[in-house]
Amino acid sequence: MRKFIFISPIIVFFCIIFIFLYLLITKSDPSELPSALINQKAPKFETLSLLSEKNFLYEKEFNHDLKIVNFFSSWCIPCSAEHKYIDLLSKEKGIKIIGINYKDDPKKALQWLDNLGNPYSDVAIDSNGDIAINWGVYGIPETFIVNYNNIIQYRLAGPITKKNYEAFYQQIIKNK
Amino acid sequence: MLKNIKINKLFFLYIFLIFTGSVVANNCNAVEPEEFLKDPKQELRARNISQNVRCLICQNQSIDESSAPLAKDLRIIIRNKITEGSTDEEIYKFLTDRYGDFILLNPPFKTSTILLWILPFIFFLIAIVVLYWHNKNSKKNN
Repeated sequence: MRKFIFISPIIVFFCIIFIFLYLLITKSDPSELPSALINQKAPKFETLSLLSEKNFLYEKEFNHDLKIVNFFSSWCIPCSAEHKYIDLLSKEKGIKIIGINYKDDPKKALQWLDNLGNPYSDVAIDSNGDIAINWGVYGIPETFIVNYNNIIQYRLAGPITKKNYEAFYQQIIKNK
Repeated sequence: MLKNIKINKLFFLYIFLIFTGSVVANNCNAVEPEEFLKDPKQELRARNISQNVRCLICQNQSIDESSAPLAKDLRIIIRNKITEGSTDEEIYKFLTDRYGDFILLNPPFKTSTILLWILPFIFFLIAIVVLYWHNKNSKKNN
């Protein structure tokens, strides 16, 4: 019994080390936060459309398709980097891509879409970041998968990259 | 004897400096003058809430201390809600509905966080039992 008492701290120590090591290897980034809006209805908003300069037609855009909602800005470098993947997804059938232009100058945003191509069915203007806060966005780019019922299924904080594209695509397939 | 007193005084001076230092540091914040509410009572409420709300960009700072743009937006939203007459609970609910419990610097006491709150006390009890048991045994051996 006495011996056990002396050895037990060492055993506990190694258990803790093992747990930390396990979390370090399996969990990629602890600062990445889960979204509070998973399985919640997509928050509504009223704003202008960047493309038509009229009202953004929420009911029309958030219809019964599978939707990908992408928060982006022309000043955001990772947004430019992920743009080709958004473009790739826009070529898929049955996926609608909705852009939300976060705290941007509309002229620059349109220029940006001219340069990189426009994968969005429509782009909502979020000039002061209110829409983003209602969606629980904490740093762009962020991309949501919203199902046919307008329920948020998945949130990717940060850019779509070569590394996470396949996993992200699987999430889309799962909710299609 | 004299030497001891001197050391004591130095010690207290040292402690004093540490504490005043932390007070000064606590007063450093990112709230900009144009954000202030006119009513000092409301402003105080806004400050209290902001100090309990985590900045999601620099995750170990409160939005009261952070100069990140999102922190500023949230401070302004909190102040707008206060002037519109929202209660503190309504404001916290607004924030956690969107960002989850992680946005609160003080995690709430509920089933998913019960271990977090209770474990220190359990460890404390275990430590007391082990110490007591160890003490008793060593007395016996002597």
